[in-house]
Amino acid sequence: MINQIEEVKKKFLEEIETVKDEKQLEEFRVKYLGRRGIIQTLFDKLKEIPREEKPTIGKFLNEFKELAQIKFDEKRKEIESGKRKVGELVDLTIPGRFKYTGRKHPLTQTLEEIKKIFVAMGFEIASGPEIEDDYHNFEALNIPPEHPARDMQDTFFIKENIILRTHTSPVQIRVMESKQPPVRIIAPGRVYRNEAISARSYCLFHQVEGLYVDEGVSFAELKGTLLSFAKQMFGSSVKLRFRPSFFPFTEPSAEVDVSCFICGGKGCRVCKYGGWLEILGCGMVDPNVFKFVGYDSEKYTGYAFGMGVERIAMLKYGIDDIRLFYENDFRFLEQF
Amino acid sequence: MKISHKWLKNYIDLEAEPEEVKEKLTMLGLEVESVDYPGEKFKNFYVGEVLEVSKHPNADKLTVCRVRVGKDTLQIICGAPNVAAGQKVPVALVGAVIPRNQHDPEGKPFVLTKAKIRGVESYGMICSEFELGLGDDKEGIMVLEPNAQVGQPLAEYFGLDDVIYDISVTPNRPDCLSHIGVARELAVAFGLKLKKPEFKVVESDKRITDYASVEIIDTLNCPRYAARVVLNVKVEPSPKWLQDYLRAVGLRPINNIVDITNFVLYEVGHPLHAFDYDKLAGHKIVVKCANDGEVFITLDGKARVLRKDTLMICDAEKPVAIAGVMGGANTEITDETKNVLIESAYFNPISIRRTSKYLGLSTDASYRFERGADPEAVIWAVNRAAQLMAEIAGGEVLQGVIDVYPVEIKPKVVSLRFSRLNSVIGFEFSQDDVVKILEGLELEILNRDEKSLTVKVPTFRVDIEREIDLIEEVARVYGYDRIPDKMRSVVHFSTEKVKVDFHNFVRERLIGAGFKEVVTNSMLDEEKASLLGENFVKVLNPLSREMSALRTSLIPSALDVVKHNFGYGVKNLKFFEIGKVFRLAFDEDEKPRYVDNYVEEERLLILMTGVAEPVSYDLGERIFDIYDLKGEVENLFRGIFLENYRFIYYSNNSDIAELEIGIEIGGKYAGRLIKVGDEILNKFDIKADIYIAEIDFDLLCKNSRFEERHYIELPRFPSVFRDLAFVVDESVPVGEVENAIKEKAGAVLKSIRLFDIYRGERIGEGKKSVAFSLEILSKEKTLTDEEVNELIQKVVKYVEQKFEAKLRSY
Ligand SMILES: [Zn+2]
Repeated sequence: MINQIEEVKKKFLEEIETVKDEKQLEEFRVKYLGRRGIIQTLFDKLKEIPREEKPTIGKFLNEFKELAQIKFDEKRKEIESGKRKVGELVDLTIPGRFKYTGRKHPLTQTLEEIKKIFVAMGFEIASGPEIEDDYHNFEALNIPPEHPARDMQDTFFIKENIILRTHTSPVQIRVMESKQPPVRIIAPGRVYRNEAISARSYCLFHQVEGLYVDEGVSFAELKGTLLSFAKQMFGSSVKLRFRPSFFPFTEPSAEVDVSCFICGGKGCRVCKYGGWLEILGCGMVDPNVFKFVGYDSEKYTGYAFGMGVERIAMLKYGIDDIRLFYENDFRFLEQF
Repeated sequence: MKISHKWLKNYIDLEAEPEEVKEKLTMLGLEVESVDYPGEKFKNFYVGEVLEVSKHPNADKLTVCRVRVGKDTLQIICGAPNVAAGQKVPVALVGAVIPRNQHDPEGKPFVLTKAKIRGVESYGMICSEFELGLGDDKEGIMVLEPNAQVGQPLAEYFGLDDVIYDISVTPNRPDCLSHIGVARELAVAFGLKLKKPEFKVVESDKRITDYASVEIIDTLNCPRYAARVVLNVKVEPSPKWLQDYLRAVGLRPINNIVDITNFVLYEVGHPLHAFDYDKLAGHKIVVKCANDGEVFITLDGKARVLRKDTLMICDAEKPVAIAGVMGGANTEITDETKNVLIESAYFNPISIRRTSKYLGLSTDASYRFERGADPEAVIWAVNRAAQLMAEIAGGEVLQGVIDVYPVEIKPKVVSLRFSRLNSVIGFEFSQDDVVKILEGLELEILNRDEKSLTVKVPTFRVDIEREIDLIEEVARVYGYDRIPDKMRSVVHFSTEKVKVDFHNFVRERLIGAGFKEVVTNSMLDEEKASLLGENFVKVLNPLSREMSALRTSLIPSALDVVKHNFGYGVKNLKFFEIGKVFRLAFDEDEKPRYVDNYVEEERLLILMTGVAEPVSYDLGERIFDIYDLKGEVENLFRGIFLENYRFIYYSNNSDIAELEIGIEIGGKYAGRLIKVGDEILNKFDIKADIYIAEIDFDLLCKNSRFEERHYIELPRFPSVFRDLAFVVDESVPVGEVENAIKEKAGAVLKSIRLFDIYRGERIGEGKKSVAFSLEILSKEKTLTDEEVNELIQKVVKYVEQKFEAKLRSY
């Protein structure tokens, strides 16, 4: 009986190689694996052999049946997949069905990057109104009426003492009015300047304001914080340059340049061959500002900084016309 | 402000190269915006002398000149009619770039080469004013002064062998608005000594008090007024050196008297004014405010209407100058002027600024006075000018200075604690460094111990009043770059719950759904603002009419985006914006969050137009319709866990919509979905179907269940699906049939989905078949067929009754 099974097995393995299509596959299945197929007849014969041989032969026959089933399944898969290649009924080169691609605005992407870095440093997010009063936008920031510093920012007026904020700095005042130190916030938002529209300036743009007030906050810490920000934002090899400057609400004040990350500081068109790119303004909060919000300037010190999101996005992506951000040309948006 | 390198050298022994000076100034806080080398354009140009002129052998109009330039003598062909032997002329050598080409219609520059002109060689070019870019005269060559030095570089001859720094001076540093001021800063930075010019005024024995008098009525706005009188001046063009200085800093020379006042202004920073003494009635100066509405002609010939707060300089009868801003035409220095009264005063900065602002007139003088002039410079400046007038204009300086100084401005005294300095900056300064820096800035140390020092601040430093101002000075001069970057800090950890960035959450979902984000202008014209919202906010001083109001809706700017993209052939658009809209509060009860009665609200706008997704060759092209928009909105709501909303269907649409569905969230009106109407589209010149949803963003945030997500045990039994199709009247809204099914089926109806609407003969005219797929699920058990059938029967009966519907298939 073993021999007989061996023989069937040999034939099975030979014949399965000759199966070429579904029809032959079905004939083959009926012949071997069908209800009246060869394998079943072998099982039928098992009943007739002596009882003591049954376990050995039974086991042998079962193993063959399993093998046969595996071989058959493999063959079936082969024929089914081959069908596509041969039949050419499905043209896989036809393009996929088109879906629209979403994109975040480059300004949002830049802002999110900035936010992420400062949030990781422990800054919280604050916000304030775009229609602002003179007190918060100027006076409490140590810019009294008739002060020449008001010329630094051309203002849109809504009515007497009500303006469109010219910077996000009024959020500093609003936050400090609402709580005692420690204060550690960034305030992103839209600001307005009454300036002629050109490739370099637009009547509105977006800023990120930063403020940290606590005991023992120093200028050296401001430098370190911004250096860390710059390295995270532009690359770990960049350097910063702090230039003395003037803002009425900080003292000492500085304008900050980052070494050109496009040419590595050697000089190129973007950095106007100077090797430096101006990216933000900062300084230690002026004691007069603390007076306005009722903080004790002997006990607390603080730093503040502000940067333009458009400016940073333009540098980062090499965009040479600020108006592109507000035109929302899909061919532009698609690039980011 | 323009600062000349050559001029600076009068006050410090500056040996540094211009690039180094630029770097130093910038790092002192005097940002150098540009460095200009005006002489560079005259490289390879020299002063030459024409030795001999002879006719060109082959051309009538040309001459062959022999020109001496230094040691060499060159042969140059010249076409100018005025060339003559003995002239000193500007000569360009081979290789020079001629700034303007006389023969080119655009006057483009060109490089001079050796040339053979009609058979005769030419080794250079004698230039006209036009070619040098110095004037418009093309008729002949430029003839230089007879005493010009042959072989001298032309740049040097013109005084252009200089370097001009364009410095942006911050408003707190008016003391740096002069050459001496800038030199003082450089002296500290380079460790040099500042040399202020020393001179002696040679006076006649006639006493000034016999010739003029000064009276200050408004002592608040004019704390000090000094004057000198110079007789018998000869008004004529200034000597070349003086003209060169003024031109170098961008001033136009006028006459020697005016030029001297300008020279002193740019030297020491103190504005002066010269009056024609003989035109001053009563030879008297009175300082007082104008009468409201008074008209005054300034020396630029313009009539200015004055106010009662305009500080004026008057004589015995009439106003003669707007104090600190501009002189009057009536007492202007002219060629006939014989005698001069020089004004040197100190005016209240606020008064000058107010006047300059309302007149819209900013001058070199007002610019300095409104930032704060130096009351102590008054006498030095008037003496300097008088002495120069004696030297240059041959005047006779009368004995004495009139100095009316009713309220003395005393130098400020300020103290600095070393410990405070070190803690604010975060760096241990050496006390000796601190002293050296402050003394270098001419701050006089009055007192010093181991803890602090006290200084007297010179009056030209209007910005130093407090300890923090001294701290800044020390840090600035020491160098910000030498202060370490502290990369560690002691931070108080926050105890506030981290807020979900809901904006980002919504953005990410929409971007995933194929929308691009746009950012648009929040200003627009009033018509568009009023079209889409009430109580719009106007801008008092807009850039243009197109931006004279704040947006009340995101729709107009979204349509601008559509228009722009259509213009470039991009017709299929899906985009969104999250932005603020503005209005005045509707009534007293509405309490705006921040300022006055202005309301700022955030909105989400979604816009779709063009070919619907998926765009494919085989499914048939379809354009977006209102159901695409509705689907996107519902998908977003599901995505952000917003469930308590409902759509509102109106019987008629608002003006702007062809189709409109309202949205209510949490029981409040939250916005709408529209197909934009033709009237609006025509205004924007758009021809396409535009679908827009505009939704209150705050309501989205507040009603999102995102923060309250909570696990609900999964159903342990499988869902059963049943399809139901009803034939109803065409007028029956599908949504109502759906609601009726939901209502009757109750809690076991897990979901319901419309899968077919059919119209056709088999159904009958005016009828439609609507088919739904129902998912039925019980939390308690597996429902039996009987139970499901019973439920379905109940639903069918209800729907049939309610809508006179007929069950079509089940
Ligand atoms: Zn570069």
